[in-house]
Amino acid sequence: MKVQVVLLIAKQFFKKTFYSKGLLGLLAVFISVIIYVTIDGWKAYENNHHITEHHQNKARKSWEDNPDKHPHRMAHFGTFAFREQHPLTIFDSGIESYTGNAIFLEAHRQNTANFSEASLSTGLVRFGDLNIAMLLQLILPLIVFFVGYSAITSEKENGTLKIYYTQGINMKDILFGKSIGLFLVSSLFFIPGLIALWSITKIQDDVSNSSIVIRTFLITVFYILFYLILSFTTVIISGKSTNSNRSLLTLLGGWLLFFIIIPKTSQVIGNSLYPNLSKIAFRAAVEEEVSKQGDSHNPNDPYFNGLKDSILKVHNVTDVKELPFNYSGFLMSKGEEQTATIYNKQHKKLIDSYKNQNSIANRLVILNPYLAIKNLSMSLSGTDFNTYVSFLNQTEDYRYKQSQYMNELQMKFISNKAKSSEGKVHVVKKEYWLSAPQFSYQFIPVSQTINNQFMALITLIFWFFIVLLITVKFSNRFKII
Amino acid sequence: MYKLLVKQFFRSKTVLLAFSILLILGALSIATGKQFLTQKQVAVEQTIEQQKKHIETQVELHKTDIGLLLYYLKFSFVKPLEPIAGIAIGQSDVNSHIQNVKILNLEGQKYDTDLVNPMRLQVGNLDFSFLIIFLFPLVIIALNFNLLSEEEENGTWKMVSLQGNSPLKYLLTKLSIRFAFVLIVFFVLLTSAKIVLSIPLNANFWQITTISLLYIVFWFAVSLIVILQRRSSNANAIILLTSWLVLVVFLPVLVNNYITNKYSVEEAFTMTIKQRDEYHKKWDTDKKATMDKFYEHYPQFKHYKLQEKGFSWLWYYAMQQMGDDDSRIERDLMNEKIRKREQLGKNIALFFPPLQVQLSMNSIAKTSLSDQMNFLNATTDFHEKLRLDFYPKIFENVSADTVNWDQYKPEYFKKIEVANIFKTSAPILIITLLLFGMSFIIGKKNF
Repeated sequence: MKVQVVLLIAKQFFKKTFYSKGLLGLLAVFISVIIYVTIDGWKAYENNHHITEHHQNKARKSWEDNPDKHPHRMAHFGTFAFREQHPLTIFDSGIESYTGNAIFLEAHRQNTANFSEASLSTGLVRFGDLNIAMLLQLILPLIVFFVGYSAITSEKENGTLKIYYTQGINMKDILFGKSIGLFLVSSLFFIPGLIALWSITKIQDDVSNSSIVIRTFLITVFYILFYLILSFTTVIISGKSTNSNRSLLTLLGGWLLFFIIIPKTSQVIGNSLYPNLSKIAFRAAVEEEVSKQGDSHNPNDPYFNGLKDSILKVHNVTDVKELPFNYSGFLMSKGEEQTATIYNKQHKKLIDSYKNQNSIANRLVILNPYLAIKNLSMSLSGTDFNTYVSFLNQTEDYRYKQSQYMNELQMKFISNKAKSSEGKVHVVKKEYWLSAPQFSYQFIPVSQTINNQFMALITLIFWFFIVLLITVKFSNRFKII
Repeated sequence: MYKLLVKQFFRSKTVLLAFSILLILGALSIATGKQFLTQKQVAVEQTIEQQKKHIETQVELHKTDIGLLLYYLKFSFVKPLEPIAGIAIGQSDVNSHIQNVKILNLEGQKYDTDLVNPMRLQVGNLDFSFLIIFLFPLVIIALNFNLLSEEEENGTWKMVSLQGNSPLKYLLTKLSIRFAFVLIVFFVLLTSAKIVLSIPLNANFWQITTISLLYIVFWFAVSLIVILQRRSSNANAIILLTSWLVLVVFLPVLVNNYITNKYSVEEAFTMTIKQRDEYHKKWDTDKKATMDKFYEHYPQFKHYKLQEKGFSWLWYYAMQQMGDDDSRIERDLMNEKIRKREQLGKNIALFFPPLQVQLSMNSIAKTSLSDQMNFLNATTDFHEKLRLDFYPKIFENVSADTVNWDQYKPEYFKKIEVANIFKTSAPILIITLLLFGMSFIIGKKNF
């Protein structure tokens, strides 16, 4: 292979492509759309960030404004966690529209994360989200196909391949040259997208683990790999087709299959193979397990009565009123511990069934580089399934700690004679509300994300080498005459 | 002649491919609808069973204190899905179709979401409406893009022109064969959907059929306009696919994005904080002020007086009530925003058939956002009915044994409303007629 020749062919392909004015127009439109989408996404992110922060502060302020009161009242006063978006949402919003944005965290109740964007939207939301990644993943490949489908076939049809041949240029040079040329053309389209991506790193955000620069860097690398794969594949298809017409139809059919039908069908099949519990069944499962172990709200529950007896024995007293701590606070902390464990177990099962549902699509990543880039892109943008699960786990963890903090306060400061949590009699000083920690959300570390998407990452690299290999093999077999 | 053209049509590989793709995905879409309806139905049955069990256990545990009992008791309100929802799942997978509410502060309970995998929601459903909106146009394009150009490229067009008869008529004949083929596939799928999902043959069914047909005709009109321009097959394929991409993929996304950002519903957050604060604040404010507000809302309960000292359920439920009452403004603002979103969406959709078809199908199948909002409003009424029923019982502290608990079964949201056929189909009809008019002019000019 002669590098000079390859570059010459690449240059020639690049120049020839822009002979037609249509493509320049398309490029202009594409770049304008990227600019619009970036500005728009940026505004939406800033707005969301502002709204989230504003409400988080508002909720905290009303928490801190509480006067001295019974800790159990505070346990039910509860906290809200409003989900922070990662700045890279501007680039790839992933499943952002479908994940709950506000969750109410109170004692002995696990609430759902509510007010997802989709739940407040019309049916139009199901057409998808507009962001830079959508343009780069879905639309640009189609443009690459349009530009490259006749890369080889047109030379065949015009009889120019023979001229190359007589000049001592072999097929490998031509295939590599055309592929690189096509990649260069596509770079004119995707580089603006990547510039938009890098501009996002300017955002100063206060969420920990956002590691925006590393994420951005990785996304950049993966997209470049993706377009290399696409360019080589296009040229191979063009080379294998008997005429331009065939080549175009094959590529368009491939786009439909790999970009639309397979991703959607695999998720649909995953769901029908591994259905998850309905909410009512999920709750029933939790309740059943709780009642098996013992219900702390039931005054005659054998488990909790046994617990009471052993406590009385240890402290050598006959009545809970004589205990050195508030007994109902103690009882609630035990109940909380028990229900939280059971809930977490069931919740993990639920998440596992979601993961099973996703597993079909995740496995197909090996066969479909589009799925690979899609998963990598949204994971690295902090808008994927794992990030959301991590958010839910963090809120539950915080909820548990907060409830137990209130139970401790109750055990320590509330008299055993207190009959109700009402009024100004049995109260804890409001300073204790101030010292309760705020919810602070952390994104999952990049290393973990890479670990989660290892398969997708390997797939892209693997496919890159595969297309190179196919190009070489194919060029050896290619008969010009 | 007709026979020969039909023969020629079926010889092409594209036809076989299009046919098998549509059939496979069609089967999958009907199965998706079936599974969806079954899952929802199972959940409803579980709800009925669970409510019975739940009431029995709780009554047993707390029968001495009806105030406490009602603190725990949950009542279900169900939005049953019509079989036709299996065709257009719409937003009914995002939103919960079963409400489980206590007679406490409602606003803190009403918006609880269902348990659905967000990945599934993002990828979207492969239901019949998806098939119609996304895939049928592609098949129509695949069948039509080289209708004329192929003959020109193969040199057969000259022969056709020499035959004398109007070439335009010849083209239309070819087009009509393709149209008949698409219609047959459509009706095969629709009939299977009707049988598998047991959809009754009512106005809703015919409306969805009409809209789908109009939409199919619309795409034939688009194809016709393009092929009459006499470009090469490749150019036609690119132009038609780009139109599909713009109309079905890009514009809808753009429109949705515009609506979402224009009306961001931050009021939801404000409301949810407010309803909590307003209830909890009452623990620390003067009881009399709370009671006065409560009596003002329910003058009929004025004769229940608050005891001088200590905790009372009357006061407790009055406080809970204030969570709802005092967050009313925020709630109305939120609903107003949602209504604006819906309205803007509908207005824009008038000009773009794919959007129009999606929104219309959802509203015919009662799976649209406004159906969910109606359900939420009905939940409020259902909840109010429970309150009015139980408040006096609690305030009088009747014994739980005197209440006939068996009568508290899940209730159903009913709304018999047929969408206006004119509203749903007129815009597409007009656009399609305009396209045919244009193609007529182009046809006149080019032949």
